[in-house]
Amino acid sequence: MDRQFIARGVSRCSTARFLVWMAAWAALLVFGLYAAGLCLVEGLNQTNMDNRFAFGLWIFLDLTVIALGAGAFFTGFLLYILKLDQMRAVINSAVVIGLVCYSGAVCVLAVDVGQPLRAWFTFLYPNVHSMLTEVTFCITCYLTVLVIEYVPILLRNRRLRQVPSFLVFEFELHKLVYVLAGVGTFLSFFHQGSLGGLYGVLRGRPFAFREGLAVWPSTFFLFILSAAAVGPSFILLTSWLVEKLSRKRLVRPEVLQLLGRISGLLLAVYVLAKSIDTLVWINRTSPETGFQAWQFYSWKPFGTWILFAEIGLFGLVPALILLAPKLRRRTGWLVSAAGMACLGVALNRFVMTVQTLALPTLSFDRFMEYTPSWQETGTFLAVVAYGVLVYSFSFRYLQLFPEERELKVQMPRTRKAHKLLRRAAATALLGRY
Amino acid sequence: MFPWNYGFQWNAGHIIFLGAFYSVLAAIAATVIAAARGSRRDLAANRAEEIGWREEFHDLPARDRVCRHALTGEIEHGECLHAFDCRQCETHARLTELRPLPWPVKPEEDLFGMAFPLDRFYHRGHAWAQPEPDGTVTVGLDDLGQRLLGVPDAVELPQPGARVETNGTAFRVHKRDANVRVLSPVDGEVVETGGADRGWYLKVKLEVFGEPEFRHLLRGAEVRPWLLQEMERLQLALSAEGAPTLADGGVPVADIAACYPTTDWDAVCGEMFLEP
Repeated sequence: MDRQFIARGVSRCSTARFLVWMAAWAALLVFGLYAAGLCLVEGLNQTNMDNRFAFGLWIFLDLTVIALGAGAFFTGFLLYILKLDQMRAVINSAVVIGLVCYSGAVCVLAVDVGQPLRAWFTFLYPNVHSMLTEVTFCITCYLTVLVIEYVPILLRNRRLRQVPSFLVFEFELHKLVYVLAGVGTFLSFFHQGSLGGLYGVLRGRPFAFREGLAVWPSTFFLFILSAAAVGPSFILLTSWLVEKLSRKRLVRPEVLQLLGRISGLLLAVYVLAKSIDTLVWINRTSPETGFQAWQFYSWKPFGTWILFAEIGLFGLVPALILLAPKLRRRTGWLVSAAGMACLGVALNRFVMTVQTLALPTLSFDRFMEYTPSWQETGTFLAVVAYGVLVYSFSFRYLQLFPEERELKVQMPRTRKAHKLLRRAAATALLGRY
Repeated sequence: MFPWNYGFQWNAGHIIFLGAFYSVLAAIAATVIAAARGSRRDLAANRAEEIGWREEFHDLPARDRVCRHALTGEIEHGECLHAFDCRQCETHARLTELRPLPWPVKPEEDLFGMAFPLDRFYHRGHAWAQPEPDGTVTVGLDDLGQRLLGVPDAVELPQPGARVETNGTAFRVHKRDANVRVLSPVDGEVVETGGADRGWYLKVKLEVFGEPEFRHLLRGAEVRPWLLQEMERLQLALSAEGAPTLADGGVPVADIAACYPTTDWDAVCGEMFLEP
């Protein structure tokens, strides 16, 4: 039914099957929208957050998806600025993932703020003392960039490109995409950093407080580094997952291995920086605030295991796997390591958000417990459903993996045979002179 | 933060932050405006066809963008950088100057069981162009193209008076689920069209002063190596769609589509007519 909208030469499931898939996720989205609607209409009393525990599941989700969505800016940076041409195979998918992550995060923030109709206040009357101001400005700008980057992908749809004005606009916009890639890199650099800086400047929260460089605490740089490290891993993971779900070859293994290698390299640097930062915090920053670091880990379930899991199991181990060429060549190891790296960054954002707020800091404080309400969980699920819907739509109708068609064809001949063919052709040509 | 905020005072931080922020906004806006203006210019200059082909060419797999001189073995490797418009290519000019291709003595050529008369020029998208004594050029579908499309379900020919341009759409052919455009080998004005009874063709009056240029088209001894590659591409296109093919040998039948009733013919034709 919708064949004429699907790229030539690629196969997709039947329209009925696609609609069933979409309907299931749409149902989840509707449930989530109802939950979010309750929060907007009835107020934030629908959540289990309060003035003391003001950051919960939503902020954890925001921080995690923004870190995972960093694959969009980083892949664009590698392709358009560093001219790493292999990234062309995944750039469209990376843009869609980035768009989904950032737009999802902004939507959840709108619910979290409680009064989305007053969202413009932050632009007109920004709080000069808040790192969130920079985050708000940069995320808004970067979401605009992602929407603009998505437009050429959308306009390359088989039917849409038959409209001459769409075709030429897509062409002209694509010519300038390196400007957008540069702007995206600049913006991502700062908002990823400011999201980390947000915790690092919390003097009243010694568990999160960090020293740093000038106005930037060390968490500013760690967030940038960790996002850049897991961005390629998440692109790798999603590409592999889509390959499995669609039962198609979409990306050459070498491209996935390259993504893994880049991710591994950055992850190793991050693990080193994070380890140094943790040692400085344990030996200097934390004692200076009146707390020994071990005290923070005496509150169950947040024992020292969480620190070792974050840095060792989900940091160092995947970094070593991704840096080992032999292991990288094995899909199982590659994908597992990428998954572990993504889990590591999610754990880091969880620690910074939830553990930071749960721990007592004053003598009369107690350890806080927080379990998200069903409305919070529903809103969280709405973002997941929204992401799946947008990505599924894009995968079906847009060319997210430009090499897909090519990978359908198995080259039947060897290099040697190619050489012989060329020689035969040359003989045929020269024989006529 | 802003001058209208209570207690606002300018300092270096404000200037840096606001300067960076507004520079970013300006860069984003300028990019979109530049793209919109460029599009307007392109549309006014009727560049849509040319842009469409350039994008399609870019989307072709690397093995399909091979330079004609790599096909003939004159150069080791080579990807065409001019979207099969050799009129702009310095390498082509140099190579043809070094080793000019003689005009074939034998007018008819039977290649792999197909008729490829050597009195005309061939486009890589399976169209031919034959200069006529009256100064016009006849454009038609080559034998492999005809065998791929068999008896078309419908053909959309341009009206006389319409303009066609090199690597733009000459005409469209519908066959089963396939809807492909045939690329025009020449620039000019369509003065006559031929229907099914006379074989689908266009007669084009060239828009050139002086001697018409055909150096972007294949001719003579170049046809065989090109066709060899086309046969290989056909086999690959068919095998990609899960259709059984012979390893080697044999002659393409008159209506190849009829032999593959369940194959995605749109994909096969898209591959062969360079329309990804």
